Amino acid sequence: MENLAVALLAFFAVGYFVLGGADIGTGMIMPFLGRDEHERRLVVAAVAPFFLGNEVWLVATIGILAGAFPVLEGTLLHALFPGFLALVAAWVVRDMGLWLRGRVDTRPWRALWDTAIVSGSWGLALSWGLILTAVLTGHAATGPASASGTAFTTETASVTDTAFTIGPASAAHAAFTTGPVAGTHAAFTTGPVAGTDVAFAIGPVAVLGMLAVVALFAAHGFAFAALRLSGTLRARARRLSGTAREGLPAALTAAAMAALCLGAGARLAPGRAVADPATLAFLVPPLLAVTPLLLAAQAWVWWLFRHRVTRPAYL
Amino acid sequence: MAVNAETLDLARLQFALTAATHFLFVALTLGLVTLVACVQTRATFTRDPVHERMTRFWGQLYVINYAVGIVTGLVMELQLGLVWGGLGHFAGNVFGASLAMETLTAFFVESTFLGLWIFGWGRLNRWAHLAVIWVVTLTSYVSAYWIMVSNGFLQHPAGATVVDGVLRLTDATAVLTNPGAVLAFGHILSGALVTAGVVMAGVSAYHLRARTTEQELFRKSLRVGVATALPALLVTVALGGAQFGVLSDAQPMKLAVFGGDAGEIARLQAEAAARYGQGDYVPSQVWGQAGYVMIACWAALALVTVVSVVRMRSRDRVRHSRLWHALLTAAIPLPFVAMIAGWVWRESGRQPWVVYGLLSTRDALSDLSPAALRASLAVFATLFAVLATVNYWLLARYARRGPGATALGSPETPCVPLPAATF
Repeated sequence: MENLAVALLAFFAVGYFVLGGADIGTGMIMPFLGRDEHERRLVVAAVAPFFLGNEVWLVATIGILAGAFPVLEGTLLHALFPGFLALVAAWVVRDMGLWLRGRVDTRPWRALWDTAIVSGSWGLALSWGLILTAVLTGHAATGPASASGTAFTTETASVTDTAFTIGPASAAHAAFTTGPVAGTHAAFTTGPVAGTDVAFAIGPVAVLGMLAVVALFAAHGFAFAALRLSGTLRARARRLSGTAREGLPAALTAAAMAALCLGAGARLAPGRAVADPATLAFLVPPLLAVTPLLLAAQAWVWWLFRHRVTRPAYL
Repeated sequence: MAVNAETLDLARLQFALTAATHFLFVALTLGLVTLVACVQTRATFTRDPVHERMTRFWGQLYVINYAVGIVTGLVMELQLGLVWGGLGHFAGNVFGASLAMETLTAFFVESTFLGLWIFGWGRLNRWAHLAVIWVVTLTSYVSAYWIMVSNGFLQHPAGATVVDGVLRLTDATAVLTNPGAVLAFGHILSGALVTAGVVMAGVSAYHLRARTTEQELFRKSLRVGVATALPALLVTVALGGAQFGVLSDAQPMKLAVFGGDAGEIARLQAEAAARYGQGDYVPSQVWGQAGYVMIACWAALALVTVVSVVRMRSRDRVRHSRLWHALLTAAIPLPFVAMIAGWVWRESGRQPWVVYGLLSTRDALSDLSPAALRASLAVFATLFAVLATVNYWLLARYARRGPGATALGSPETPCVPLPAATF
């Protein structure tokens, strides 16, 4: 049951990074792809039917975290508070841009909400860059952070390998241990006391990691846009890969997204922080049962809107 | 864990702002989607052009409104983990599980199908398109049910026991049939139908009074709105009343504060202090009276609706009774005030508990500094103020402009040929 819960978590998280990453990346490069109002509307039409169905993969991921890994969820979100705060704010801004841009037919209005789409998309990619880098590089910083006395440890030494700090050790104010061994006795030691200092310190590794994640989102956007758009816009989207084939770059960026997500997930070791067995027995079977239906619904959307964009959509 | 009092207040304020904004919009969403689905059903069966335009016009308002519900919902979901970590730690086995069920069995499908409905207009076969809006409607009910199961558990933690300082699920049926959840679900669902009915009737009355074009469309819409609001009001009051019985067992303090019964409050305070240790177990006596605001709104709405039903018997009056039209339009804010007041009463009345009798709100708070919370409160309060203002302005604008301005479901912009790509 625990393995199934971990598999569900991984499945929905990967789904989000592959699918949601595509609309985020497309939003990031919207000024490059769409040079006038008509073109920008076509770029929006490329993601419009999908973004609602894409972001729910993240909602589902957080839901599974809260339900099957509640302590991990609390610890993770709390440890990376500024990153998630930025993520949610950027998410709201991006979505409002998408929803609102077509509501009033004036130039300043569209310019305002197009800016919201682009800056929100960049904000989302940057926030993921911060969060994923912090998770992926946290291990290396554990030792020094402990030495500086800000790390909290639980009763067992074995859990310390799930502790991670944000940023380089010298500036590490936030070392966290992600709770329970075998999901039993949860140690909710959300350290350090001065919560203001839970900051993402900027070091070379953190900056490079973040930029790499942001670049991956943008590349994924290029690959996706090349599959969706037509004419001049399609040619612009292909400029990055330069190849005549469009499926291959998309497959590569999607695989990189999945690998990034799984790598970060492996570092969090969710298998150590599962909920109580009774809860898993209540939760996991229905979730497994509905998953094929969710996939069918998603497949229907992708099938219905499989054709290249040649005209504006509702938004 | 020593919790800074300022942090606690900021965190509660932030959550209250998020949940209130969310609730203002989802209350209309939940009701309006039902009415849109019913009108679309009629339009699909009869191919009546008036009903088709009705579907698009009310559907457009529904979609504008939905967008705010979704983004505030996202913020709320993450806030539970970001700020109220102690809740996930203590009650995650039950509370987190019902939230997880909500995201996968309801919201995921609702959102995916809403995309299909909006963008699939004209692409999907019309029967498939009708089926899609019904799936959206039913999954939004399922979503509301799971949210009320989560909230009902916090109000009345049935079906779980505390083992080693953490709640464990012992009886899933008790969680799913918790009267604190089921009655409130029905109450909110009918309240949402009242909200949508009054909005539909009020907007239609505006157009009839202003003698805009589409008189036929708005005459029919007014009838649908009033015919929904009246029965929904009756169900709301019945299920609201039934909750008093649950409260007298589960949360007598909420009732005592509501009734302003000083003797009973003192007795319950002493009893709680003896049971849980020293502390203040009396919720805010100001917010605890919000129930009266809700009841007053209900009474005013009942009056307006009954008058409307009487006047509606004449087709001529539906079109020409200008005073009545003004009254109906003026009633639009009432269901929203009632919804928020009822929510304030329910939520403030269980303080100082987040999980009633088991976990205090103070203990649920993550260890965050006031500075971190001030920053996050500033970000979200600004975002929500902008969101609510812009979207209410848009709703009013689209409502006023009438069906002619509806973009939803209109034939797509003709294809503009693009210059061929050159490689």
